[in-house]
Amino acid sequence: MEILGTKELMEQVRDKGLCVSCGACVEICPYHKSYKGKIALVFDCDMTPCQCYAYCPQTETDRDLLSRTMFGTMDKGEALGQYRSIIAAKAGSKIKSNRFQNGGTVSALFTHALDSGLIDAAVLTGQNDDLPEPMLIENACDVASCATTKYMATPTLAAVHKAIRDGRKNLGVAGTACQVKALATIKANPLGKAEQENSIGLSLGLFCTWSLDTRKFSAFLAGETGGEKIVSMDVPPPPAETFKIKTENEEREFPLKEIRKMIPRGCACCPDMTAEWADVSVGAYEGKPGWNTLIIRSEKGEQWVEEAIADDYLVRDEFPRSRLEHLTLGADNKRKKAEEFLTKEKK
Amino acid sequence: MSGLISGKKGSRRLLMGNEAIARGALEAGVKVAAGYPGTPSSEIVENLAKVAEAGNLYVEWSTNEKIAMEVAAAASFARLRSICVVKQNGINVASDFLLHLAGSGTRGGMLVIPCDDPGALSSINEGDTRHFARLLEIPLVEPGDFQEAKDMTKWALELSEELQCVIMMRSVTRLSHASGNVTLGDLPVTDVKAEFRHEGFPLDPNEGIITSAPVAFRHSQQQEKLKKATAAFESSPFNTYTGPEKPEVLIVTSSACNLYSREAINILKAEERVGILKLGTTWPLPEKLIENRLQKCDSILVVEEVIPFMEENLKILAQELEPKIGRKIFYGKRDGSIPSVDEMNPDLVIAPLAKLLGIEYQAMSEEYATNAMQKSFFAAPVRDLTFCPGCPHRASFWSINNVLKLDNNRGFVCGDIGCYTMATLPTGFSTLKTLHSMGSGTGVASGFGKLTQFGMNQSVVTVCGDSTFFHSVIPALVNAVHHKSDITLVVLDNSGTAMTGFQSHPGLEVDASGGDAVKLDIESICISMGAVVKKCNPFDFEKTQQLLFELLEIKEGVKVLILEQICALSPEKKAKKNFEMSVDESRCKGESCGCNRLCTRIFRCPGLVWHEESGISRIDEAICAGCGVCSAICPVGAISRKEVAYE
Ligand SMILES: Cc1cc2nc3c(=O)[nH]c(=O)nc-3n(C[C@H](O)[C@H](O)[C@H](O)COP(=O)(O)OP(=O)(O)OC[C@H]3O[C@@H](n4cnc5c(N)ncnc54)[C@H](O)[C@@H]3O)c2cc1C
Ligand code: SF4
Repeated sequence: MEILGTKELMEQVRDKGLCVSCGACVEICPYHKSYKGKIALVFDCDMTPCQCYAYCPQTETDRDLLSRTMFGTMDKGEALGQYRSIIAAKAGSKIKSNRFQNGGTVSALFTHALDSGLIDAAVLTGQNDDLPEPMLIENACDVASCATTKYMATPTLAAVHKAIRDGRKNLGVAGTACQVKALATIKANPLGKAEQENSIGLSLGLFCTWSLDTRKFSAFLAGETGGEKIVSMDVPPPPAETFKIKTENEEREFPLKEIRKMIPRGCACCPDMTAEWADVSVGAYEGKPGWNTLIIRSEKGEQWVEEAIADDYLVRDEFPRSRLEHLTLGADNKRKKAEEFLTKEKK
Repeated sequence: MSGLISGKKGSRRLLMGNEAIARGALEAGVKVAAGYPGTPSSEIVENLAKVAEAGNLYVEWSTNEKIAMEVAAAASFARLRSICVVKQNGINVASDFLLHLAGSGTRGGMLVIPCDDPGALSSINEGDTRHFARLLEIPLVEPGDFQEAKDMTKWALELSEELQCVIMMRSVTRLSHASGNVTLGDLPVTDVKAEFRHEGFPLDPNEGIITSAPVAFRHSQQQEKLKKATAAFESSPFNTYTGPEKPEVLIVTSSACNLYSREAINILKAEERVGILKLGTTWPLPEKLIENRLQKCDSILVVEEVIPFMEENLKILAQELEPKIGRKIFYGKRDGSIPSVDEMNPDLVIAPLAKLLGIEYQAMSEEYATNAMQKSFFAAPVRDLTFCPGCPHRASFWSINNVLKLDNNRGFVCGDIGCYTMATLPTGFSTLKTLHSMGSGTGVASGFGKLTQFGMNQSVVTVCGDSTFFHSVIPALVNAVHHKSDITLVVLDNSGTAMTGFQSHPGLEVDASGGDAVKLDIESICISMGAVVKKCNPFDFEKTQQLLFELLEIKEGVKVLILEQICALSPEKKAKKNFEMSVDESRCKGESCGCNRLCTRIFRCPGLVWHEESGISRIDEAICAGCGVCSAICPVGAISRKEVAYE
């Protein structure tokens, strides 16, 4: 796969409206910048090959390279990606907070990783006023501040690059499917950049069906809630077809149909529901509120989860066969839809 | 004291065309001169301003050309002699008043002097003001060399006073800005008292009221004056003929083209075959004089710049005269013998003339031409138009570009006229997307800002300089505020009319001659109009961008950001550096940085140079103005600045 430059990144991704604002191209050069959930090219650049093109999850993917980097094997092309085991999980007794999106598995794993020194720092996604914001977390006690899902496209990886530029190594990062794919590419270091060596320690993928355009959705929220602070948002499992928003004073439901209109175009070509290019992946456990589905993929991921369970950061439960079939079906559906979209795009 | 006033009668001086015109005005006893700066016209008012005190003149840089015309007209109404000087498009600005002035008539001699810019050497148009003379029905004269520039000024002022109508005297870049020997005349000792008489019979041209109504009456008077002007033109010393009594080809020409035509004939050694009728009075045409010349030749080559003005007028006349003088064949713009865009030069005259005369002529041998082309292509360094080192505009557009790109809704900037016009080019990051006349940036923006009802959601930004703000942005801003147009105006306030040479304007405490003037404050003006106004130093990128973001967030109404920083070339700066700049060679990673030479490829201040051998950037100390701005653009902080302490 040939690595090209900004010009081609613009032609193949951004000018086609396929950018998902992951931030993988931001903070590595003075040309790509993010502002309020959108990525912009501030001046033309003709350099090639370039990191921006290499890391962007929306350019062509070298699946074998990613597979070798993450799992030491060739790509197998399975619907749920490669994994060692799947379990149900939630935060254990070591975790004091109880404000999570689902079971708090993500917060628990990062609290453990920082406490135990598995990683030097974490990059998570918190909130600043009405916009999501990537945060560099150095102390385990600050992990909780980033809990709950912000259903908005966020340039989380910009903060990863910034941390690397500031000389940090061994970072732990949580991100959606597109973001962990970019992380895996950074880890593969296809351009042999010295600063990228050992920069990524652990990656945690969040299941993702779609995200929302940050500017559109934040304007929608501001309009609907009159600026009231949002406590949480959630997509209840089917057949609900609603989107729930909880503010400090009330809980409101919106038809999912309305919300879906704000999905960025780029999400339509993403085939990956379970964030396959990560050490572990976490999603909601449909039908078991307060729990997460946890896919353990790499050896490193396995050690991480086991230590977290052993040290009471995390508790586990069985993940029954029937659930696995359901999950596979969901993942397959997303992949098919993406393929349909891409065939249409090519025409 | 300037030589302009000390030069004795009969002495010869090397004068620039514009200086010759200024001297001519002094010799004619002009008391009031007004204008708006614009290349190639500015030196006329500038030179008169220098001698204002010694010569007891009133000279001003008016707020715009229309007002300059009105100020000069007032002097004429009070029986003083006056001139109004503008560049070509200044006539457009003043034309409404000029139309009415042509109808109302004048009293003291008054000239309107536009300096045209064929080839647009320092303009973004090559407007031809001669058409205004015909359109507005006022006499038009054009000096053909430097001596004439002086003498014609005096002659035309006297004629204007006699006819009581304003006369247009048109110059062009190659006359205004070139120099030649001029024999000086006397400077009159005048002691005229300004007085406006208005108590007489209303229609009395000397004692009544001055207006263009009743229109039919005044218009017919105006046309009578034109007839008198034509009669005077028949014997004008500025219409000359040189050549054989019956030439094979008659060149009719005027202004700078007279010089090109003479050179062309000389090069072709065709003095015995070609005659030149050089006209100094170009509208209305002196009919008898022309009849006399056309009678003796059937092939007429009309040599003039830009639009076929003389050619068309000559053809009308020739048609009327045909029963008497027979059929003539005209060569010029209409048949493609002479181009109707860009400047003329001797070669462009030689080509059609040689053809008419059947002379084989090649300006230069093919070998020489290729050689010269190659030499100039390979040996001359590439130099594109760029802002000066330390120019605040580069910093301002850096921020404007960044903010609009990050704002990411295809926002754009409506441009205006000044040095910052160059922001259509890479030196201003190609930020300007529309560009027309003075003040039109804000006017066009005002219109864009009302298109939301048709689905437009792009950010609309416009820019103007401080002088342009006063010239014609204010009415456009009033319009935008009044109609709640959603626009952001960035005023690039560099404290002077920098592009044309730091002439004064209403935002400064001095006037054209250096005397005290009342300074108007742009910020207070905008606030009083009801705009949201912010102000900062464009060298502070962070603050500038933060303020611009804040203003763009406000969705209805007019927002103004004043970016105040004195021009790098301003005489007040005395070329002082604020910072000593340097590139830390251990930090600049050059080609391997990944910044793709942001400083020398994009920011491109001439003070920053790419050093090929060492493969890194450097500061060129001789060029760097020490503004310190580039230290903020290097992504690895390799450019550092050290404040310079002055006593
Ligand atoms: C845009 C988006 C869409 C999702 N869609 C699905 C889905 O369809 N099905 C499903 O099962 N699960 C989905 N998830 C995952 C789910 O919402 C929970 O994040 C996951 O179950 C972990 O829950 P938790 O209680 O462990 O999280 P918590 O302990 O509350 O931690 C949440 C973590 O999510 C990260 N985060 C929050 N917002 C973002 C964001 N915008 N971008 C990147 N990281 C973010 C934070 O860093 C935080 O650490 C989605 C997540 C996101 C961000
Ligand atoms: S998808 Fe990510 S890497 Fe690709 S262009 Fe958008 S922000 Fe950059």
